[in-house]
Amino acid sequence: MEQQLMSPEMTFQHHTDDAEFKRRVRKTTILLSVITIFELAIGLTIYTIHKGENPSHLLVLMFKGMVCILTLAKAYYIVSVFMHLGDEIRNMIMTIVVPLMLFIWFITAFLIDGNSYKNLRNKYDSHFRESTSVEHKPAAKE
Amino acid sequence: MSNEANLHGHTEVVTTHPVHHDEHHVHHHKETFVTKYIFSQDHKMIARQFLITGIIWAIIGGLFSVLFRLQLGYPEQSFPILETFFGRWAAGGKIVPEFYYALVTMHGTILVFFVLTAGLSGTFANLLIPFQIGARDMASPFLNMLSYWFFFLASIVMMSSLFIETGPAAGGWTMYPPLSAVRQASLGSKLGSDLWLVSMALFIVSSLLGGLNYISTILNMRTKGMSMTRMPLTMWAIFFTAVLGVLSFPVLLSGAILLLFDRNLGTSFYLSDIVVNGEILSNEGGSAILYQHLFWFLGHPEVYIILLPAMGMVSEILSVNSRKPIFGYMAMVGSLFAICILAFLVWAHHMFVTGLNPFLGAFFVLLTLLIAVPSAIKVFNWLTTLWRGNIRFTPATLFAIGFVSLFISGGLTGIFLGNSTIDIHLHDTMFVVAHFHIVMGVASFFGMFAGVYHWFPKMFARYLNNTLGYIHFWVTIIGSYLIFWPMHYQGLAGIPRRYLDKRAWASFNQFADLDKMITVVSIIVFAVQLMFVFNFFYSIFKGRKVRTQNPWKANTLEWTTPIVAGHGNWEGEIPEVHRWAYDYGKDGRDFIPQTEPIGENESKDH
Amino acid sequence: MASTATVHQTKWWSGGKSPFNLEYGKLMMWYFLMSDAFTFGAFLISYGTVRFSQNFWPDPNVVFNAFPGAGHANLPLAFVSVMTFILIISSVTMVLAVHAGHNNDKKGVVKWLFWTIIGGLAFLSCQAWEWTHLLTGEHAALVNGHIELLPQTTSINPWGPLVDHSVAIDALKNSTPQVIARLVHEHDASHSLPHLLSLPKEELLGMVNTAELHVRQTGPVAFGGYFFGITGFHGFHVFSGVIINIIMLIMTQKDVFARRGHYLMIEKAGLYWHFVDLVWVFVFLCFYLI
Repeated sequence: MEQQLMSPEMTFQHHTDDAEFKRRVRKTTILLSVITIFELAIGLTIYTIHKGENPSHLLVLMFKGMVCILTLAKAYYIVSVFMHLGDEIRNMIMTIVVPLMLFIWFITAFLIDGNSYKNLRNKYDSHFRESTSVEHKPAAKE
Repeated sequence: MSNEANLHGHTEVVTTHPVHHDEHHVHHHKETFVTKYIFSQDHKMIARQFLITGIIWAIIGGLFSVLFRLQLGYPEQSFPILETFFGRWAAGGKIVPEFYYALVTMHGTILVFFVLTAGLSGTFANLLIPFQIGARDMASPFLNMLSYWFFFLASIVMMSSLFIETGPAAGGWTMYPPLSAVRQASLGSKLGSDLWLVSMALFIVSSLLGGLNYISTILNMRTKGMSMTRMPLTMWAIFFTAVLGVLSFPVLLSGAILLLFDRNLGTSFYLSDIVVNGEILSNEGGSAILYQHLFWFLGHPEVYIILLPAMGMVSEILSVNSRKPIFGYMAMVGSLFAICILAFLVWAHHMFVTGLNPFLGAFFVLLTLLIAVPSAIKVFNWLTTLWRGNIRFTPATLFAIGFVSLFISGGLTGIFLGNSTIDIHLHDTMFVVAHFHIVMGVASFFGMFAGVYHWFPKMFARYLNNTLGYIHFWVTIIGSYLIFWPMHYQGLAGIPRRYLDKRAWASFNQFADLDKMITVVSIIVFAVQLMFVFNFFYSIFKGRKVRTQNPWKANTLEWTTPIVAGHGNWEGEIPEVHRWAYDYGKDGRDFIPQTEPIGENESKDH
Repeated sequence: MASTATVHQTKWWSGGKSPFNLEYGKLMMWYFLMSDAFTFGAFLISYGTVRFSQNFWPDPNVVFNAFPGAGHANLPLAFVSVMTFILIISSVTMVLAVHAGHNNDKKGVVKWLFWTIIGGLAFLSCQAWEWTHLLTGEHAALVNGHIELLPQTTSINPWGPLVDHSVAIDALKNSTPQVIARLVHEHDASHSLPHLLSLPKEELLGMVNTAELHVRQTGPVAFGGYFFGITGFHGFHVFSGVIINIIMLIMTQKDVFARRGHYLMIEKAGLYWHFVDLVWVFVFLCFYLI
């Protein structure tokens, strides 16, 4: 039998040759850097939008959404290439990815309730509303 | 070359811990008292450690409930003996309010976490996983040992909080802020709460170490032929329990850390607009509801962490003792899986009256009621497993049947509570107390008792005394219903839980006698549990000896080990598995162990 | 050996072998990381929940705009991008260390682990600087009708909405000479602070550059709690990662893995290290970008 000294799993199944591996790492590194630079650019864009007259909230929201998507892309590359999850058996990938789906409801429910708490307080707690909202618009930006 | 070489984790242990390597092959020789009984890395010993620690905690937690039941049943009477024992906490023989709240809080904390989480899954996961999947030990015996000792540390911290001057935490087992976050709010919110949080953090580390071990052992170390769908249902249940724990306990850890910060570093995660004794606190902008969300994100899965192992053991015990295959094996696995997923999605049904967004609440109602489906499937399958079986009424079987009964009665009231509109009326009343005690507390205890009676021969190579077992069962089941059934009526009438003294409300006086009855019964039931503890320890040393390898004539692998299994469980090779665990009464044979190859002419139904 | 994977292809779950072709330690590490993801997830989601429950939340570009040695220059996102790149680079060096381990190349492991540790330490130093900067900062904030100079701590947040100019001027008149002296000093360092402090309040008021006077209300205190709490928890992970890597380095040096015949431990340490990087990606997103 083949497993004399070691059990079969001790084979490193992601046995790619050195050149191929180096190329992949280089590619991923560049990709991560580019995405990060892109994110920074968007961050600065948001900053300038805030600085300008009448900032468009929709535009800001759109940019923020874009950053979130870019971050997920970054996370994907880190997990799949750097952590070699992409090289594992499909079932293994599933046991990691599927439980993470719980985050969808986790995030959604928490944020909806946080938002609803704000609305409740704005409605019933006038002190909260007055002391925290930005009423005097002209000075609200830098 | 063999199975053993195939057991990778095992091989890995050998490579990383050379000392261990020796132990496997020359076991019994090098063990000292310390390595055998204290810092043991053997799963069987760790299981016993968990069980005995759990029993000690159960006695303490149970005693606490008897004490506050005295107050609830006899609010006008004083018991001088209480003052003798508890001094100023029971001045004049009457339980003072701070003491009452401390008792209620500690009763919940101890039983939920220390007994029914650590004591139940700690015991049976450790005992059964290597036995039933066919492994020498856990994937990492060392981490397994650490898991127990973190639990022990958590126990020490929690125990010490019982003896400090200001008393233990007294804000309810859920530790809601602001009460638990503001020191000056009550006696129990002082040092006691810090100790509670530290103890809980240690406990979470313990359960994490345990859970990771259980998962990787079940996935990685099954013996040859033991495919996932050939595993006994106990294994599936424990597997899902571990998944629940690994994914939900960290959220409680986060919540507890934030609470510790609020208490000690002046942050305002949970605090806003608070006045204590006329003093306005500077904390602002936090959300107390946030803690509840975080707590219940663990808290609800926690309910199933408690319940699932009991379900698994009950399935196994019912099948073995009715000499019939389990009915609907795949449906059982599927419903366990469904429960495991739904457990994560329904936490806010504990929070319908916190001002939770009603629109969001509607989704939580829907998801909550969905749990009725897998639960009903399980109940149906247990009943059909029993149906027309050749039932052996051992104490274990009785407790397993009792579990089913309690699960049905307690589960039905869950449907009431899961509806947000009805919950407005029932929230925080005795109805809730009755519901969760029956469905989660007592039912899981029944599962645990069933497990102890069933696997005691494997643990200690002796039997528990049967007569005491029958007394134990009948008094406990009747007592449980007598205690908790009337509480439904109290709750429907609006009696709130956790109240020290209800005499001020004339409409509640009609229940005064009922409360006395509940108190008396709970004392009797507690006494019978002490009898069980006596039976347990007496039988360890003096019980009837086990003479055969397979006393229950069961199919699973643990009964193929020697009566007193050494370190490594099987002498020689680990047996190979050829069939599922439930071939009872097949082809005219009473039972066919998993190790027996499929015969030539064997019928095909599974 | 490499072909074993294909031999068992059809019977992964039949028992007697790992269904994932992984040894248990790596499996446990993965599931531990998943569990840790829920810890961090819970923190970040709590942060989001509290942020969603507020009418106002500080703009990160205003809060994090300093760079070591750049004085009061307004450089939003600059420093944190340095920190981010440090972590990405250290992640790359870790990948190379793990790869060297696969090839049983001790020298390579030592070299790349060393650079990873340096990267971790650099990151921690950056974080230490940023924390110090925030905790010792002095930002003009309106408190009960006068101006105070407040730092960013777990219980104080000076980053509320900007105050109307006229209100700020009034508040300035109510403020103590010490505060006014510091405000003058901040914009014009040519006056020494002791000298300014000796001047009468009237004279100081005349010296304030009112056009450049930005006064803010105090903001939501939870901001600081979450910032220090979560970056602190992340920093703790980086710190323990560095410790783990140092232990790995020592073990490699002592040929522990060479004797063992494999560098699987490096791989597990690597998983942990990448996870730290992964968490930072999300911390970066939640605190600095949106």
